[in-house]
Amino acid sequence: MPWPYLGPPREFLARHEAAWVTLPNSLYDPARGAELYERYLGELVMAEELGLDGVVVNEHHQNAYGLMPSPNLMAAALTRETSRVRICVLGNALPLYQPPTRVAEEMAMLDVMSGGRLIAGLVVGGGPEYYSTNVNPTEARPRFREALELVVQAWTRPGPFAFDGEYYRLPYVNPWPRPLQQPHPPVWIPGLGSPSTIAYCAEKGFGYMGVAYYAPPETFARQAAAYHEAVAAAGRAYDPELLGWLTTVYVADTDEQAVEEAATHLAYFQGTLAAGFVGPGKVWMPPGYLEAPALVQFLSELRALVEGPRPTDAKQAVWRRSPLIGSVDTVRRRLLEFVTGLRLGTVLALLQFGSLPADLTARSMHLYATEVVPYVRREAERHFAAQGWAT
Amino acid sequence: MTSDVTGTAVEQSRAMTVEVAGRTVTSCRLGGGEPLLYLHGLCDVHSAGTPSEPPLFLARLAEQHHVIAPALPGYPGSSGLEEIEDVEDCAWQLVDLLDALDLTRVDIVAHSLGGWFAAELALRHPARVRRLALVAPLGLHVRGVEVPAFFGAVAPRGVGGMGEARRLLFADPDGDAATRALPDEMSRDAQLRWFGGLAGAARLGWRAPHFQSRQLARRLGRITTPVLVVGGHGDLLVPPVVARAWSDGLDAARRVEIAGAGHCIPLEQPDSARHVLAFLSDPGVTDASGNVDVDLPGVTDVSRTTGTTGS
Repeated sequence: MPWPYLGPPREFLARHEAAWVTLPNSLYDPARGAELYERYLGELVMAEELGLDGVVVNEHHQNAYGLMPSPNLMAAALTRETSRVRICVLGNALPLYQPPTRVAEEMAMLDVMSGGRLIAGLVVGGGPEYYSTNVNPTEARPRFREALELVVQAWTRPGPFAFDGEYYRLPYVNPWPRPLQQPHPPVWIPGLGSPSTIAYCAEKGFGYMGVAYYAPPETFARQAAAYHEAVAAAGRAYDPELLGWLTTVYVADTDEQAVEEAATHLAYFQGTLAAGFVGPGKVWMPPGYLEAPALVQFLSELRALVEGPRPTDAKQAVWRRSPLIGSVDTVRRRLLEFVTGLRLGTVLALLQFGSLPADLTARSMHLYATEVVPYVRREAERHFAAQGWAT
Repeated sequence: MTSDVTGTAVEQSRAMTVEVAGRTVTSCRLGGGEPLLYLHGLCDVHSAGTPSEPPLFLARLAEQHHVIAPALPGYPGSSGLEEIEDVEDCAWQLVDLLDALDLTRVDIVAHSLGGWFAAELALRHPARVRRLALVAPLGLHVRGVEVPAFFGAVAPRGVGGMGEARRLLFADPDGDAATRALPDEMSRDAQLRWFGGLAGAARLGWRAPHFQSRQLARRLGRITTPVLVVGGHGDLLVPPVVARAWSDGLDAARRVEIAGAGHCIPLEQPDSARHVLAFLSDPGVTDASGNVDVDLPGVTDVSRTTGTTGS
């Protein structure tokens, strides 16, 4: 749920270092904010009307990229405005909650209120959130793992019980309500490709949602391959729905039209709103959040992307990071390739991104939901009926 | 130890790794004579570990002392970060280190982050610290004094540019010292050292975003070790008003203010080591606890407290 009024990247970056943490909140206009919530919630409701399987909300703080510091509030509204779709909160940043049993409580509420439609995304939280909340990033990962353990126990273990962890010590864990889905709602974890996160998801039977929209699609392909290996290593049956790909999608009548209509809004998304999460300017990546070698690697990839040769052709420039922007035929073909090639059961389509206006969003969503998705679903089922998802 | 006519140490430093209570601590050692423990700060991580060319400030100290400069926990070469929950743990890790080095009582020179830890050590274990020179020490919270947020200033950039960090840490951000310590283009090794070190600093520095402890402010007057406070005139993290609060709050403290220095005094004005050497060689600085009142021959720009304003 982006704030769309900051201007194109070059102009924005000349005035501000980032769209996160320090972007003055005087730029937020509550009256326009009210219109935006109305519009964005309407688009999520429209996803159900168009026949999509689920809607996704996420958590970010002190930024213009996503206006949902509490995605659970949005999900609560959606429990009343929808009746069929899965509601995926992707996710709650566990280390930011003290105690994280708050997350177990709110998500159980959402699951009960929605009639068991919740998908529980549990996340470490992005780097900028640690600057915004002052939670210690050097503890982020062990704290996340322990909090996740606590939340799952809170959902599944008869209470009251005591939890005695390194970070959380609670004499009485006994949340009311309990979730409707048993033993607990599906748990999905988004990741940037960290091998330990992928292995963890595979071991626990959690969904792994690859976030790679800032990078070429090969980056996600590598994550998918790593997930397949990890599932095999964990000795689990492969469930395609537990592998997801978060990517921008825009469908129009022709490739040219799609690229032309999407390009500036995509640039706003990747250049203006992501500024602060990725370079070229300040990257709010706190110390200890990634191990130093992983951070140095991340920064060198960012830099290669910023400084590397840019395709002069408009289509190639867009497709470098966003292959699912094009005509119905192009998006059908490419999506099917990804789904069958990577044994992908979940596509988290960013159908509104950056400053993409309501009319273009609605038209593209319509084409995607009615022309692309049914086709890809049918063809993929045919493909996997012949050879099985697991091979 | 050999010295040229200008007194510059030309000896190579020696690396030493010791196992301390199951943790690894890597130190750089140079010089000879009485041992002197040097605890590094936020910006002179190069002085820990195994620099082929010891920083000038350490070399100056090594003209008269056997300098042992360990990497603080979490900094490259030293483990134990995950065992640190609070500054108490830090002080005990230093006690373990002193034990491992067989130093029952030692002079300590401590800069920046190291200064905070050294002060906490002296507060809790006065018998282990003979004299303490605090160079731009972090750790002290002074009500009403605002300082810039360190971790925001040193956040990486997608493309080059350590300018903001240099402006925060050096009086002359374009000078040699600053651009050598924090160049816009860092080698992979230098990046690993820098970002690895920041994780060490963040362990205790994150929750107190300016490395300031209110508890230390309340307890400062309980430190009985003779202390020299060396402040940088242009230090933004420990501005002169905070350096003064240190010397005012400490019994037995004297203060020197170094012109042309920001926070990274040892890198920017290595010659300031002479104040530390004078302090450590002054027979008037006793190793008895309590007030001391001495002159520092040859040192100008010294403000001295009588040691009665603390606590």
